[in-house]
Amino acid sequence: MNRSAPRSIDQYLRQLREELSGADSALIQDALYDAEEYLRAEVAAHPDKSESDVLELIASTYGAPDEVASAYRDTEVKVKAAMATPRKEPHTAAGRFFGVFLDPRAYTSLFFMFLALATGIIYFVLAVTGLSLSVGLSVLIIGVPFFLMFMAVCRVVSLAEGRLIEAMTGARMPRRPVYQGAARGFWARTGEMLKDRRTWTTIAYFLSMLPIGIIYFVLAVAGLSISLTLIALPITVVLSQAGWFGITATEIFSTAQPEWIFNTGFAIPILGLAGLLLLTSLMHLARGIGRLHAMYAKSMLVARAASDPAETEESAAALAAH
Amino acid sequence: MDDSNERKFQKELNGGLVGLVLLAVLAESTEDLYGYEIAKRLASANDGTSIFKEGTIYPVLRALSAGNLLTSRIVPSYSGPPRRYYRITEQGRSVLAEWKQIWAGTRDFVDRFTETEQSDIGHSS
Repeated sequence: MNRSAPRSIDQYLRQLREELSGADSALIQDALYDAEEYLRAEVAAHPDKSESDVLELIASTYGAPDEVASAYRDTEVKVKAAMATPRKEPHTAAGRFFGVFLDPRAYTSLFFMFLALATGIIYFVLAVTGLSLSVGLSVLIIGVPFFLMFMAVCRVVSLAEGRLIEAMTGARMPRRPVYQGAARGFWARTGEMLKDRRTWTTIAYFLSMLPIGIIYFVLAVAGLSISLTLIALPITVVLSQAGWFGITATEIFSTAQPEWIFNTGFAIPILGLAGLLLLTSLMHLARGIGRLHAMYAKSMLVARAASDPAETEESAAALAAH
Repeated sequence: MDDSNERKFQKELNGGLVGLVLLAVLAESTEDLYGYEIAKRLASANDGTSIFKEGTIYPVLRALSAGNLLTSRIVPSYSGPPRRYYRITEQGRSVLAEWKQIWAGTRDFVDRFTETEQSDIGHSS
């Protein structure tokens, strides 16, 4: 707490990041973005003063890093409490098991599993094309601007993927992109991006989304078609006995294999029940996959605290000085 | 010690007021505003020092935006990261009208006690 007051924008942002340590990584990214917008605007508004003179007054206007950090934590808690719809948790085991049908997250997660194949293909193509062209063009002068453009597209797509995941699974993801600092030379920025761990985890995430998307899609399609077919069996029998199809159930299933299932009277209701259980399990699986995937995406797409190598070195040096 | 007590009281008072003030500022403005601009408007209305720490308005802006009381758009900036400009929505205006009434009621209620006390002191002296 009793640290020296920050004298530069970078110091301020670092202290704010430390104050927010332990908070959601997406919240940290947003808070740093807001602070940077304000601080840079404040410095730009006082061209006669140096950066450290402006920063000296910042604690009384914008607020010291610890004050700002607590404002973000408090507001986040309040918003979460206000936005969350109160849901009664069923107490019986059966209630909890079938309660998944009332959870909108289960449906959206299932939808995400379908969507993952399409987005996975797009991400994979983007990453492979961008990477191979960057490497291929690196011998030419347009290689560097191409790489920077590729990275910019990656950041936008990664933000969009985050918004999609938040909409589908409810996990908090960044609402602001990472700000890369004021425009510098091509070479400086290229070097920075090559050193940034997040650049590589983002590309790895894009590549991994193709196999992951295929698995999600297959699970969703196979799970839905098997369980819905099983559920349809007893319904078909009942409807055909009511004369809906103009033929009897025996005739419908006369060619169905294996024969013994359709000859015994009790097998069909049991299969229908199994379909219902399978469908419920699929919904649980979808919800679980949604949560796990959100954690995976967060670890790959969102910068960890002090992920910037230059910053880690500086804070290590600062620690050593103490 | 006194100073920190004052600050704590001010902070507790500000809890719900920041949202009300931000909605009011955006409702009166004819153009879209971004965070820094709003902060400076608040400060200039009070002799250069806002009673809110300006850093506390950003999370509230985001919360109001998430509640559909504000809409926003992003505009690139030369001085720093792209700025997010906010504008109040119709829903925001109707919420603001409700909040204004609640605030007026609260202020009158509090005034009734704090001002009686002052006039009593005036009588006794």
